[in-house]
Amino acid sequence: MGLFDILTGKRKVKRPAESRLFAMSTAAITLEMSLGLRSGGRAAIVFQPLATADFGSIVGDMEEVLRGTGGDTGTRIDKTDDSFGYRWMILSDDDFEDLVVGINVVSQALEDGGYGERILCAVFAFRDEHDQPVYWIYNYKRGAFYPFVPAGGEQRRDSERELRLKAQIGRELPVEEELERWFPLWGIPI
Amino acid sequence: MPRPTSFGKDTGLQLRMTFTMFLLGLIYVILIVALLGAGVNGVTVALIAGGLAVFQLFGSDKLALRAMGAREVSPAEAPELHAMIDRLCVQADLPKPRVAVANTRMPNAFALGRSPKSATVCATTGIMELLSPAELEGVLAHELTHVANRDVLVMTLAGFFATIAAYVVQFGFFFGGGGDDDDNPSFMVLFLVSIGVYIVSFFLMQALSRYREFAADRGAAMITGRPSALASALMRIASGMQRIPQQDLRATQELAAFYIFPPGAGKAIGGLFATHPPMEKRIAALQRLEAQLQGAA
Repeated sequence: MGLFDILTGKRKVKRPAESRLFAMSTAAITLEMSLGLRSGGRAAIVFQPLATADFGSIVGDMEEVLRGTGGDTGTRIDKTDDSFGYRWMILSDDDFEDLVVGINVVSQALEDGGYGERILCAVFAFRDEHDQPVYWIYNYKRGAFYPFVPAGGEQRRDSERELRLKAQIGRELPVEEELERWFPLWGIPI
Repeated sequence: MPRPTSFGKDTGLQLRMTFTMFLLGLIYVILIVALLGAGVNGVTVALIAGGLAVFQLFGSDKLALRAMGAREVSPAEAPELHAMIDRLCVQADLPKPRVAVANTRMPNAFALGRSPKSATVCATTGIMELLSPAELEGVLAHELTHVANRDVLVMTLAGFFATIAAYVVQFGFFFGGGGDDDDNPSFMVLFLVSIGVYIVSFFLMQALSRYREFAADRGAAMITGRPSALASALMRIASGMQRIPQQDLRATQELAAFYIFPPGAGKAIGGLFATHPPMEKRIAALQRLEAQLQGAA
């Protein structure tokens, strides 16, 4: 935001940064080979469903496309609304590459429809060697990933583990540099 | 490919705000000229006011929080509030502010801090009970827009010279009122100019504040994508949904005839003194946004 924008109180909702989503496709191999994180076979994209007619039809078309390609790739689609009014499109597929492509189809459809700024994030689920969930969250506005490891119990996260993951993945994944933007997502349904 | 946006621009608001700031700057220049004309003591006053402005920017947060009886809360203490603010911060591309809660029944929320990194967002327990989650989200997005727009910084800087003028006026009352020996004519001029600057800048500041409220409403609508939720929150806060009348039409008509002014006639003058725009105008602005969003306008 420029000085003039600050002075005049102009506020735009930031559009998605240049997509670095596909960095996840290659990083997933490293995650599995050297860090022992297996894909949980699920990924989700979270957005605010707007109560407008064209938004509904965009989402409807997008779901149709997904189901169409899902017939070939075997990707399953579920959706659920959380208590904050956000919609989760959940994709299930054992082929990790298909998950990334599917997530991209959703975000692309929303962006092309002019609703790119409604996307909150994408979430990729992994399991560690003890079968505990480890999530990588992709923030579209920042074009960066960050790890999120719930530590069990009320609103607890394993920050040590998260920081270690950031160091371990190194430069293979664009990781969010500002730690105060590692926003937690409690109650992830995947 | 230029992507379409769901909201248009509000050029009128930007113009009004810029014009107000231009006027503020203009009368401040007059004050500076007068200060310089009066000699050294003007510079001293400027230094004192500068120090106070710095203190206000850097030290007032904790004072204000304490004055409101607010307390910073951890995610474990207020999980819902934190989670809501987390999501809004992602949408608004802001770092996470500190979150505070004031234990009072009065429904209210406010934001403090000179920059997004040092910001605090506070909600009262009253507003959290009163509003639905979507409405509360709108209110919090409004406060976060204040943070993103750096409204505390802008208003403190905008008020800087008004503070100086106020000090000159007070100084004049305390020391110039004696008038025992030689009257300093240049100080007399400065005194009068300061009074003028103080009065005019007061109204301009109030106007600026109202414009920034509109900007924050607009920003909130963009973050949440739900202008009507914020409008509904505003109505609910303004004493229990009284804007959508609950009373029978026949029961209200006669009474108005007995007033000397029809109810609400004094608003044009009262509006000049208000820091917030009248509720109707804010709701009307939000309804225009909703219409844009629905593609009807």
